[in-house]
Amino acid sequence: MSNAIAEPGAAAAPGRFRREVPIQYGMAALVVVLVAAPLVPILYQSFLTGALYDHDARLTLGNFARLAQTDGFGTVLWNTFLLAALSTIVAQVFGTAAAILFGRTDLPGARVLGELFLWPIYLSALVLSFGWYSIYGPAGYITLFWQSILGEAPWNLYSIGGMAVIAGVSQAPLAYLYCLSSAGMTDPTLEEAARVSGAGTFRTLWRITLPLMMPAIAYSAVLNFTIGLELLSVPLIFGEPAGVTVLTTFLYNISATSPRPDHGLVATAAALMLVVIVFLVWLQGRLLGNTRRFVTLGGKATRPRPFRLGGLRWPLFAACVAYVVLTGVAPIGMLVLRAFTSFLSPMVPLVDVLTLENFEILWREPVYARSITNSFVVSLVGAAGATALIGMIALIVHRSEFRFRNALHYTALFPRAIPGVVAGIGFFYAFALLPGLGGIRNSIWILVIAFTMRFIPTGLGAVAPMLLQVSPDLDRAARVQGADWWTTTRRIMAPLMRPALVACYTILFISFFKEYSTAIFLFAPGSEVIGTALLQTWVQGEVGVVASLAAIQVVVIAVCITTARTIFGVKLHG
Amino acid sequence: MADLKIEGLVKRFGEVRAVDDVSIHVADGEFVTLLGPSGCGKSTTLAAVAGLDRPDAGRITVGGKVYFDGSRGTYLPPEARGCGLVFQSYALWPHMTVADNVAFPLTLRKVKAAERKRRIAEVLALVEMEPYADRYPHMLSGGQQQRVALARTLVYQPSILLLDEPLSNLDAKLRDRARTWLAELRTRLGLTTIYVTHDQIEALSLSDRIVVMNGGRIAQLGTPQDIYERPADPFVADFIGTTNFLPARVAAVAGGAATLELADGQRVDIAAERPPESGAQVMLAFRPEQMRVAASGEGATPDGSVITARVLSRSYVGGRWQVGLDLGGGPLRLEIETPPHADAVRLWLPRSGCILFRGAANAAA
Repeated sequence: MSNAIAEPGAAAAPGRFRREVPIQYGMAALVVVLVAAPLVPILYQSFLTGALYDHDARLTLGNFARLAQTDGFGTVLWNTFLLAALSTIVAQVFGTAAAILFGRTDLPGARVLGELFLWPIYLSALVLSFGWYSIYGPAGYITLFWQSILGEAPWNLYSIGGMAVIAGVSQAPLAYLYCLSSAGMTDPTLEEAARVSGAGTFRTLWRITLPLMMPAIAYSAVLNFTIGLELLSVPLIFGEPAGVTVLTTFLYNISATSPRPDHGLVATAAALMLVVIVFLVWLQGRLLGNTRRFVTLGGKATRPRPFRLGGLRWPLFAACVAYVVLTGVAPIGMLVLRAFTSFLSPMVPLVDVLTLENFEILWREPVYARSITNSFVVSLVGAAGATALIGMIALIVHRSEFRFRNALHYTALFPRAIPGVVAGIGFFYAFALLPGLGGIRNSIWILVIAFTMRFIPTGLGAVAPMLLQVSPDLDRAARVQGADWWTTTRRIMAPLMRPALVACYTILFISFFKEYSTAIFLFAPGSEVIGTALLQTWVQGEVGVVASLAAIQVVVIAVCITTARTIFGVKLHG
Repeated sequence: MADLKIEGLVKRFGEVRAVDDVSIHVADGEFVTLLGPSGCGKSTTLAAVAGLDRPDAGRITVGGKVYFDGSRGTYLPPEARGCGLVFQSYALWPHMTVADNVAFPLTLRKVKAAERKRRIAEVLALVEMEPYADRYPHMLSGGQQQRVALARTLVYQPSILLLDEPLSNLDAKLRDRARTWLAELRTRLGLTTIYVTHDQIEALSLSDRIVVMNGGRIAQLGTPQDIYERPADPFVADFIGTTNFLPARVAAVAGGAATLELADGQRVDIAAERPPESGAQVMLAFRPEQMRVAASGEGATPDGSVITARVLSRSYVGGRWQVGLDLGGGPLRLEIETPPHADAVRLWLPRSGCILFRGAANAAA
């Protein structure tokens, strides 16, 4: 073709230095350190007589016996189980029903209702709890309204049942998403066959559609049960005042709020929780099979013919609207409204109480202003760093010949089994143990590190499916033409992964922005974030400030989701 | 340019030996096709040469440069090999224009900008894609993408060219044109080329030699004429072209010829260099074009035999009739211009040109 070619053949000399080796080993080491950092100190501490940093501490098995003999610990375990089980039932019933109604029938406005149904997934259970408090609490809007007309309200949020309903509602979207994606993947002819052979709408739903959803229901049930066990906000807000303690609040009480924490006991309880969750996550993996572990809601090519609801169409529509309004729209709306008022009651006209004073307090008090700034820094910067890390992990796991890529994959997914409270306690120990890290310990960077570790699996869940859709031929072509792994990663894979990384960044930004359960063990004066400020202010009883902080959180998340969806076309269901 | 030596190549996937002791020597400038059904190991062999898959054993050298040596643990990563590989999917990078795609391998080799521009123009002219330099891959048709993929590979003058079913994603008409074009290009460039395909027409028309693969092993290695006219076993006979198989028994042997008895007792005389012993079970293989309907009253001659087959079905396929026959219990298909009216049809089979395979193995399956 041409005789002016000076260097035929290979671009890279054989036997040269392979720069992917330090990069891949370095990333793997970083992930191992991140994931091990909270775990090792907890496990070690659970076998020590004294505090971890105490030189007199000796190895012992006594902590386990002491924990078992702690007053009321049996009740704590029973409450934990009961709350998780009840909230799972609530979540599964509502989630499955919503999936069938919004996904498979001719219910009017199904798409909009489905969107509204998902809202709790974007908010923290903490904010949802405040919202519920503002309308169903003892002095809540609807409670007072009910009392003025019908007498004593029949509900009580300060009970296991009340907490289970709030937690269940906040987890129902998960069940909904899994059932919906399973319904989308099912062969619609299976249902059509049943209808052709004479089964009516409801018989087909009951005998064909629902059984076909069973794997999704079972999987999301285990997932929701796990989340129920890890839940801190709802029992902290509604359980503690009523004297109902669960494992997370037990841990919170004996560590974060205790003046002289018994570290052996804390670590042992945390280790116990860890073991249970690890088992449940393993069970999830068994139920789903390894490949579909973090499947997102996929697009469907052909939509199955929706069921006709007939005469029940409008009554069911009314019921769905009532559900969405009563569980999500009204609590959040009322919370936002509360932020703009000094007091909220059905007995007082709204115009009399409208005020911006709550926001003025946020502006005036440095602790609140700081918590908002910190939240933004942690989320904007932290999510960027975490996205870069997760992108690299995904590329090494799925697109390299790195020898330990499978081990790296498991390690990177392991944080799914580390509850937020356990991660918080663990990182607290880790930074207490290592000298020279004091600077980080009292800054927001400890939060960035802890959040990053916690949300690696979430981010991978957003990146991996999209990465797997990029044909391996594209990077192989670059390799054959002479690009080494690192050049291929930068020049070919990184640009192709841009949509995946944007989705990952959005999801991480939201996750970081609403996170509180890890943070309450790690923050120090000066490194508050919105989540910790919310809890602290709640304890002080400043409902107006809580409402305005929560309103800011809700608005930021809403803006973030809308932007990501409309500008970048990001799909966020993970 | 260089020659390629593959010696004793083995690649396992779990328990399966995808490539099982394969040895091929491709001379400098030769065009060799790996042909076989899917799963025969042809693409795995190609991937091993390109360095995309690490084989389990064997040795691969190109022009004296060792790519892989299982016994010494030598393994060059793909980027250090300098092969050119055109993917079945073309693998054009969607975020780069045609010119950027072609420029990428040159940038890697630190070719100066002016020189780079000249070579891009030259190679795009070669594949007749010059006007499309600023388009993105998704704006091109399948045939155009394929040309760009080839240009991207040729631009850095690879030591050998590897083509993985490059025509299989094109529709039938375009494939014919692309094949002709590829044949011209191949004559012009004279690159050492390994071509992987499952399409026998591509293999026969393009190759200097063909390697027919089956179950990870080489079934036959030879020129297109060899493979078509003298298939080594029933598999090759069946895979290349359409072949009819008739089970038979050797009734008599006499000096370079054998008389076969079909299952229904009819007899056929066949020329065979080394006929099997009398009484052996054999498989008689012949091409459809070797057989014709016998003229009325035509009988057996020293050149061929006449046999009678029962007509099972006739269907009109446009200009011709496809007739399903039963010949001594075995199915046979024939395409003729006038449909038979009787229930039976007399067929003429030449004495030479047919092939005998030993054993009653069911090759046609």
